[in-house]
Amino acid sequence: MEVLTVNRGCVLKRILVYGAGNNIPDDLKNAGWLDVLPEKLVLEEDSHAEISIFVLPGFSGNIRLTAEFAGERADLKLCGAYICTGEDRLSLDMEVRHEVPGCHSDQIFKGLAAGHSRADFFGRIIVAENAFKTEAYQANHNLLLSDTAKVDTKPQLEIYADDVKCSHGATIGRLDEEEQFYMRSRGIPLDEAALLQIMSFVSPVIGTVPDGPGKDFLVSEIEQMSRNLLNAGKTGQVD
Amino acid sequence: MVMLEENNILEEFTDREYEHGFVTDVQQEFIPKGLNEDIIRLISSKKNEPGWLLDFRLDAFRKWQKMKMPRWAHLEIPDIDYQDIIYYAAPKAREDRPKEIDPELAETFEKLGIPLHERDVLAGVAVDAVFDSVSVTTTFRKALSEKGIIFCSFSEAVKEHPDLVRKYLATVVPSGDNFFSALNSAVFSDGSFCYIPKGVRCPMELSSYFRINAKGTGQFERTLIVADEGSYVSYLEGCTAPMRDENQLHAAVVEIVLEKDAEVKYSTVQNWYPGDADGKGGIFNFVTKRGLCRGEGSHLSWTQVETGSAITWKYPSTILKGDNSSSEFYSVAVTNNFQQADTGTKMIHAGKNTRSRIISKGISAGRSQNSYRGLVKILPGADNARNYSQCDSLLIGDKCGAHTFPYIENANRTAVVEHEATTSKISEDQLFYCNQRGIAPEEAVGLIVNGYAREVLSKLPMEFAVEAQKLLQISLEGSVG
Repeated sequence: MEVLTVNRGCVLKRILVYGAGNNIPDDLKNAGWLDVLPEKLVLEEDSHAEISIFVLPGFSGNIRLTAEFAGERADLKLCGAYICTGEDRLSLDMEVRHEVPGCHSDQIFKGLAAGHSRADFFGRIIVAENAFKTEAYQANHNLLLSDTAKVDTKPQLEIYADDVKCSHGATIGRLDEEEQFYMRSRGIPLDEAALLQIMSFVSPVIGTVPDGPGKDFLVSEIEQMSRNLLNAGKTGQVD
Repeated sequence: MVMLEENNILEEFTDREYEHGFVTDVQQEFIPKGLNEDIIRLISSKKNEPGWLLDFRLDAFRKWQKMKMPRWAHLEIPDIDYQDIIYYAAPKAREDRPKEIDPELAETFEKLGIPLHERDVLAGVAVDAVFDSVSVTTTFRKALSEKGIIFCSFSEAVKEHPDLVRKYLATVVPSGDNFFSALNSAVFSDGSFCYIPKGVRCPMELSSYFRINAKGTGQFERTLIVADEGSYVSYLEGCTAPMRDENQLHAAVVEIVLEKDAEVKYSTVQNWYPGDADGKGGIFNFVTKRGLCRGEGSHLSWTQVETGSAITWKYPSTILKGDNSSSEFYSVAVTNNFQQADTGTKMIHAGKNTRSRIISKGISAGRSQNSYRGLVKILPGADNARNYSQCDSLLIGDKCGAHTFPYIENANRTAVVEHEATTSKISEDQLFYCNQRGIAPEEAVGLIVNGYAREVLSKLPMEFAVEAQKLLQISLEGSVG
């Protein structure tokens, strides 16, 4: 198994893009944006890791990561945005293991499913018996954009210690019509309104990418793809 | 130091004795141990059942033989020897007074707070009291039948209303649905049957009370509730068992059918013997409960307070088939010492504009493991379906576990599903706040736990709510930390 260890006091920041194909500029490629996630991430004492995952349309497969806290006071921020269309089959499998006290993990995953795609999210947080003062959070929000797409989500908490703060939240919903009405009554066409909704939906994940050409590339890519989605099926519904 | 003291208080708070642990000394009739087709034929003949019911049992038994015990739950279940269980035990009718209820039995139920005489104590509640494998009596039958309501034991229903039973039996939980429902379908002994006719609002609470008494037996009862168009009924279920070192199996099936615009409120206060402080003994509570909202606009509400049983495996579910039907699930599950619970609900949305709401509160203390497991499934045709789930876990003490396993599956663009879960402990700040105001630590924990579970307890019928509140307090006695 491929293991990536963040050594004591070190900081790891990674951005990974799946399904970007050859569109991606060379310098981003060189920065490792097309790398594959290690199967396991180990965080040592006082280390800090930030990982952002972007899954663009056209990618099918299983993305899995197990993150384990091996030293106290380590911190993990794990984010992901995924857009699935056509016949995409995406499965995300995230496991965060709090084996030691005093660590902090925060996960946020945002997904869009259109066409005949299918997205599965599986996220587990395990807090071991002695891992006191753990704070672990996870959120998974999904939007269904077509009648034929399907999203399953299985967030799980397994907690064996009492002095912890843990929560998870999961939603599967649609683009809010009241928001659309609000924008349309102010002269923004439906497509444009839906695009704004999608962009604001994924913005917490995009926001983890530092400003620069990388972020610009991601924003324009996601915007273009969302536009394609919306054009494919008028009235905000995509087939 | 503060921490230590607090732990002591919690421990004291959770140590207590099970108050319904006595054994009633009545003459009982047993059939031999073991499970095979002859035993099933024997049970069926003891109950003078018609041929179709025996066939139903045998068919279920054959299915069961091919099935394996489910192992997916977050539970450690010791191997159960199904040949080592007595599947039928009934108190003998006294020869001198064959028609009357044995005073010993009446006293037992009296002691448990379930009066079998139609007196003023629980005047608003009709009771079907089940003792081991048979129903002892059903109160208020006459008053109810004036309204056309049928409320009787399952065996009587088979004799007196065979058409109704045949029409609805196993339509919600098929005999081969799962391992325990198949077992129950093969050997079920008694239970309650309830039919509310069109447009009738049941004037009183109906209730079943299950008591396991005999040693070496299991209890396998079956409840079938049919609410016809526009009717309403509130149904309560309670249960207790003696304290024993052995584990006893309780595998029940509850089926509820709701026609158009019917409303059923089903409440359970489960207080089976949970085993002693070392985890010895206790009831294995493996129950299948399911309601089918068959008609448009029907509404099913589940409320459960789970405090007993060594192991609980229970997922009251609703199939929302009719358009505009809705369902709610409110649950408080308390585990202490070595208890294990894996409980939750399933909401299957098939009809348009169906709505469901899940509120689950888990409380774990001692060395117990408490899991919420729930499925929300939106089928492609369930336009505008809506679900909201909230699962909170409260940990008391540092040796217990609380787990949440929600499964959310959505295949409809217009549906909206939300789930949130939190886990926390009673904070020192909260305790300190109470102590400062002169509330003793033990009381403070009771107060906090009650506040935490209030949302669910408030859904219980009044008589039960008071009982449940007390039970909650007792269940946690000696666990404060």
